[in-house]
Amino acid sequence: MVKLMSFEVLTRATFDIMDITDKCCELVESSGIKDGIAIIMTSHTTTGITVNESLPCLHNDMEETLERLIPYNDPYMHNHFLPTYGATGGNCPGHLKSMLVGYHCVFPVQDGKMVRGAAQSIHFCEYDGVQLRKLYVEVMGE
Amino acid sequence: MVIDVHVHPEGYEPVYDEELTPKRKLAMGRYITRSAPMKLVFAQMNYDKIDKSVLLPLDLTTQCGFRVLENEDIKKLVDMYPDRFIGFASVDPYREDVAAVLDHAFGDLGLSGLKLNPSRQKFYPDDPMMKVVYDKCVEYNKPIMFHSGTSWEPDTPAKYSQPLCFEEVAIEYPKLRMCLAHFGWPWVQDTTMMILKYPNVWADTAMLYMDRPKDFFNQIFKVDLSPLWIENCINKKVLFGSNCPRFGPGDMREGIELLGLREKTTKDILGNNALDFLGMEG
Repeated sequence: MVKLMSFEVLTRATFDIMDITDKCCELVESSGIKDGIAIIMTSHTTTGITVNESLPCLHNDMEETLERLIPYNDPYMHNHFLPTYGATGGNCPGHLKSMLVGYHCVFPVQDGKMVRGAAQSIHFCEYDGVQLRKLYVEVMGE
Repeated sequence: MVIDVHVHPEGYEPVYDEELTPKRKLAMGRYITRSAPMKLVFAQMNYDKIDKSVLLPLDLTTQCGFRVLENEDIKKLVDMYPDRFIGFASVDPYREDVAAVLDHAFGDLGLSGLKLNPSRQKFYPDDPMMKVVYDKCVEYNKPIMFHSGTSWEPDTPAKYSQPLCFEEVAIEYPKLRMCLAHFGWPWVQDTTMMILKYPNVWADTAMLYMDRPKDFFNQIFKVDLSPLWIENCINKKVLFGSNCPRFGPGDMREGIELLGLREKTTKDILGNNALDFLGMEG
């Protein structure tokens, strides 16, 4: 059996980290699938998903490290008009941060629940906010 | 107060139309057709510290057979959120009922100004047929936001919108307040002459033709023009406009702030000057 679900989050800043663990667990448990795997995926290219400890200090370190690696105002080639969008691409740092962090995570499902380590929380990362973002949760199993 | 004088709201959810909105966006050269829920619009405005947005429609009756939002749509948005939106009307100058449209827009709907795009609507600003439009704006004391300079929209010859095309209008209608949108780019020297010389002419910052706002604004206001001019000569005549959703208001605002102007000049550009253009109290 395969069940695909989705939900939206309204992010709060240009850079934002939101703990979505409870929402993902709730959707997995509602899927009716007892044993299998769950995939959590963002549907955007300037966002990311990372699994880490949910501590404000770590969130801050993640933001500062990504900003140091990918400065907001560097002269990126993407900073030009995109005819297919009808807009100027000013969000290259978001694309590059997404490339580094990745866009999904995977967990086992056992007895209807996601199997996670004690410190493993699921975080949705925004790099080009404020935006309304869509995420998918797919559960596969029996 | 921060006022963004250049916002196109055709994607806003209360006026989103499954059939018309995609056509409207294509006509405006905007190819992302998602609707924007108002909770997102206000979350972005609040994060970007934008107090009010001037909403601009465009009447393309002759060119396309439809309007990029009806004047009534703008009225609806303003009535829903009167503290956040200032609504402009539009009219196709080739319409036979142009005077009636403006009487309704200003007299009945109470809209705050007029948006015209000479390049998209295909008219020269000093064409004699425009007299009825300008007379109505003077009669109701409403300003005009003119598209000026190049445009990202399709089928928009720049010859209709070069800044000097507006000079005779500024002379003939000294009581008509007008804004040359997009700073008339790439004719920024000509735009500077217009806003320097004519008390009834302003220009907005809704221009981003390459680079990021901080780099583009630095090129315009610190290189193409003398760095002293925006501080000392045209500081009361430049209005903050983003051209949202084509460009992000937060990035555009940051680009203005990173120019390193006097605090007073920055405040005037971000809001105080718009009050003069709009004819509103501070």
